[in-house]
Amino acid sequence: MSTITIAAPTGSSEAVKAPPLRPQNKQLAILAILVLVAIPLPLILPAAQGAVAVRILIFLLMAVGWNIMSGFGGMFSFGHAAYFGLGAYTSAYLLVKHNVSPWIGMLAGMAVAAAVAVVIGYFSFRYKLQGAYFALATFAFAEMLRLIVTSSTFANKSVGFSVPLIQDSSLWLIQFPADSPAYFWVALVLAGAAVAISIVFLHSRAGRYVTAIRDDELAAASLGAPVLRHKLMTVALSAAITAVAGAFYTQYYLFVNPDLGFGSAISIQAIVPVVIGGIGTVWGPVVGAIIIGSLTDVTATLLRTPPEFLGFLQGRSGLDVVLYAVLVILIVRLLPKGIVGTLAARWRR
Amino acid sequence: MSARMLVAGLGALALLATGCGGSAPMGAGGAAAGRDEGPVKIGALHPVSGSNAVDGLQMRRGAQLAVDAINAAGGIKSLGGRKVELVTGDTQGKADIGQSEAQRLISAGAVSLVGTYQSAVSTNVAVVAERNRVPFVMDVTASDAIFSHGYKYSFRVQPGSKAIATAAAQYLKAVSEQAGKPVRKVAFLHEQSDFGSGAADAFTAAAKQLGIGVGPNISYDATTVSDLTAQVTQVKAAGADVLAVAGYYRDSLLAAKAIASVKPDLSAVWGVSNGAYDQPKFVSDAAAAGNLYFSTNYHYDATNPATVALREKYQQQYGDPMRTGAVLSYDAVQVIAHGVEQAASTDPEKVRDAIAGARVSPLTVGRGQIRFAPNGDNRNAFPVLMQVRDGRVQQVYPPEKAESRPDYRVAWRP
Amino acid sequence: MTELDTGAPVVPETAPPDRKARADKGFLSRAGIVAAVLVVAVVLALVQSGSGLVVWQSVVTGILTGGLYGLIAMGLTLIFGVLDIVNFAHGAFLAVAMFLSFGMVQATGLHPYLTLVVAVPALFLLGAAVHRGLLSGAGGRSLENQLLITLGLSLLLENGLLMFFGAEPKTIALPGDFQFPLLGAVVAGSRLYAFLGAIVLGGLLYWLLRRTRLGTAIRAVAANAPGASLVGINVRRMHTLTFAIGTACAGAAAVLAGPLVTVTPTLGEQFNITAFVVVVLGGMGNVVGALVGGLLIGLVEQLTTIYLGGQSSLLGVFVVFVLVLFLRPQGLFGRRA
Repeated sequence: MSTITIAAPTGSSEAVKAPPLRPQNKQLAILAILVLVAIPLPLILPAAQGAVAVRILIFLLMAVGWNIMSGFGGMFSFGHAAYFGLGAYTSAYLLVKHNVSPWIGMLAGMAVAAAVAVVIGYFSFRYKLQGAYFALATFAFAEMLRLIVTSSTFANKSVGFSVPLIQDSSLWLIQFPADSPAYFWVALVLAGAAVAISIVFLHSRAGRYVTAIRDDELAAASLGAPVLRHKLMTVALSAAITAVAGAFYTQYYLFVNPDLGFGSAISIQAIVPVVIGGIGTVWGPVVGAIIIGSLTDVTATLLRTPPEFLGFLQGRSGLDVVLYAVLVILIVRLLPKGIVGTLAARWRR
Repeated sequence: MSARMLVAGLGALALLATGCGGSAPMGAGGAAAGRDEGPVKIGALHPVSGSNAVDGLQMRRGAQLAVDAINAAGGIKSLGGRKVELVTGDTQGKADIGQSEAQRLISAGAVSLVGTYQSAVSTNVAVVAERNRVPFVMDVTASDAIFSHGYKYSFRVQPGSKAIATAAAQYLKAVSEQAGKPVRKVAFLHEQSDFGSGAADAFTAAAKQLGIGVGPNISYDATTVSDLTAQVTQVKAAGADVLAVAGYYRDSLLAAKAIASVKPDLSAVWGVSNGAYDQPKFVSDAAAAGNLYFSTNYHYDATNPATVALREKYQQQYGDPMRTGAVLSYDAVQVIAHGVEQAASTDPEKVRDAIAGARVSPLTVGRGQIRFAPNGDNRNAFPVLMQVRDGRVQQVYPPEKAESRPDYRVAWRP
Repeated sequence: MTELDTGAPVVPETAPPDRKARADKGFLSRAGIVAAVLVVAVVLALVQSGSGLVVWQSVVTGILTGGLYGLIAMGLTLIFGVLDIVNFAHGAFLAVAMFLSFGMVQATGLHPYLTLVVAVPALFLLGAAVHRGLLSGAGGRSLENQLLITLGLSLLLENGLLMFFGAEPKTIALPGDFQFPLLGAVVAGSRLYAFLGAIVLGGLLYWLLRRTRLGTAIRAVAANAPGASLVGINVRRMHTLTFAIGTACAGAAAVLAGPLVTVTPTLGEQFNITAFVVVVLGGMGNVVGALVGGLLIGLVEQLTTIYLGGQSSLLGVFVVFVLVLFLRPQGLFGRRA
């Protein structure tokens, strides 16, 4: 693979003509524009859509985290729930039991998740697990964490943690009135930062090593790339970003239990947007999260108030999920490299 | 190939566009929009898709029947006969979906919410209700943890997990003594999440006070278990004379099959908040294996003529027997309508205050009218003891709610 | 795009005599180690629980349940080994077949086991259609696409069943089911039948793979697809055929397991995880290994319940799984390619 630089899906070629920007600066500029455009969204959207927008940003954080490890690094993880859950539980535990600000809890969660990821990664690489075997191993670790938390008294067993409500809003405690746009803005800053980090990482020296190792580990190693160290670094960064998603999730939904934190559905949620959007691309997670984050809401809405000719479908339970599944399968079949990946491939031709 | 790609790309873009536009027509502008005119809206949140869809749909219909009854009786009289309308949401059994659906219903102008069947979802919705200052009346929600946070806007109609488990221990002592075979030692078999473990802990505490020994305490993972024979053998080896079971439908049925094959020397099988042993479906699925099983749980009041009439109506309208969950939803909606009536307002905070002081006669078994304690739990919620007899589930204890007398024995021993 | 290489498939193959002898010796010593560990584990369980009856019943239950796991995993291991596809829809196929069996028993009053005659061919066709329509070609090549397609498919099938049959749990009653005591432990007839069914199915697949031209072709495709196509084997057809045989196995497993479980659209989820563990344990593509792996997992589950009361039996399963992944990723009874 000659290059992993991906042009933005929007027609940005005429936006900047001269002097030519370096690819990461161009991508960062596009990101800045996207973030600026998104800022007024919560003021325009009705409250229920505001909740969907925040959900999209949480999906985005998870997707960016997963993409760094599995897209850039080529290590297919099927257990990102482990890092999401560690982020969620660490911050919830510190807040509920020790009254520590969720910002600090978030940092602690990132550290814990990164450390656990390095341990899991070390053993997996040490024993040369690859592809499906690596995926199954990560899955097993996430499930073990779920089972351990479910039976641990200090983590409140299967009850989980409820974040105590406060009367007024506080940025320090990341708690605002229910339909406050502040939630969206906090999530936007976190997600924007995560995308920016993924851009910078991809174009950094370390990032180039990582993609080189992904494309041909043997060749990269023989050219002197420190393989293990870079793999572990990738894994740690990916886990830390996913932990941010978990910590923010707990603050937004104010509740976490073992299934919501460590359930296998979470691992799947991290994967689907990236594969739909385009694995290994910078913008794939963004596009994928927007589509997948709103898809459940769209299908549910369509079926709640169906157009006339679909009226007979109303109230059939299970149909919205069927529709969701069909759309996901169709996108994967028709655009095997994801939306961004396929568009970019056409662009380059 | 390229044409197909183009179509796919366009499709994806269209999706994206609808995604952003989403369900915009549903959500109204401000939070209070539409409350002052048109029908009074009550938001019902239930899992009508996913693995709990049957119960979710039952409960949504129960709520709808209550709304129909209120409208047929002339709507909300203190508001000049304004009609009531049920706005519905599907939680899909997922906490985060429940949260956004709750937000949507509140934005659509619901004066109060009712739901949600699952404890994890209710926990999330309770937070939404609290922060939007909209009352949330739970029909089915076993977990007691929600009521320990000092929430002002959360109410519950059904008896909580602890209330049921405590009553189960008391009934067991009374019924076994009545039969002349006082209970000695209870083995407890339960699924290991909050639901089953909570029931086991509360039962053990209550039993200890009554001087009943509990042990062994055996748990299993309800999501994966496929055979409980070894666990029931453990009960047999321990020499317990009563086996208490707290589980969901599937695993409780497995337990019944295992009990039928191991045949431990028991005097009774005692369901505690059990998801199967008071279901008509269990009676036919387990057939002979389920005969004479006891179950302590919330239940529709089979001795109340109004309940019987409601269940007949449900059967006519939907072609299914009405379950207890649906009757609880009916009660919960009655509580909300009563609150709106008393408050003579659609302001959710005033409705909340009226609900807190409400007195409503339930169609489920209760000690009296529904009355809420300061933490929002129903003071008069009251579990009843049932038994599988002559191919159906009958209320057998306490005497004032009994259809027949308890028969304290198991089917495989004389 | 990254090609996620999973290493060469490890379908058992004939090796030169000297290597074969050495491999057999390694196999025997591994089997010995596993047996020894098991014996120690059972003795420890005996000490822990203090009741011989409970441990004996646990062992019996573990073996019977293990047979069921092996039965379910057989189709999966075939697909995994030959096509390199991690098929997350296997549980959903199981559910489809079970509803098929349930529907026929309801409609015609047939003996449940007789529904094999319809369920197996129906699942064979379903599998062929799924492979041709969804998994072959460029879209189904990478691990992530396979994952999403099979996951999407399982959502689709499960919720399709939910729409048509409703979420109400169903039961399939086995006429004339019986149970008998075995040295104090009880054995249910329906579980024994499923266990025997697992052995018969394992034998059939073994015979198919080792003794028929078709099996030889399948193994050739698994070992070296480009080479196989050079000698005139239609690789794509072999892949479709193998996938279809794998899902047909799910059909057979579903019919035999039907009377043991409560039939719901999501019942496959309950077995999916365990089935993957069994596949890796037995060595992917190794049908007999799947049966042995199933027995081991059945025992591990039961022993975990004795060792760690209050813990999910899955915890023990995952610990064993991770150890095997690290120490012998080709499976306890697979051979390094």
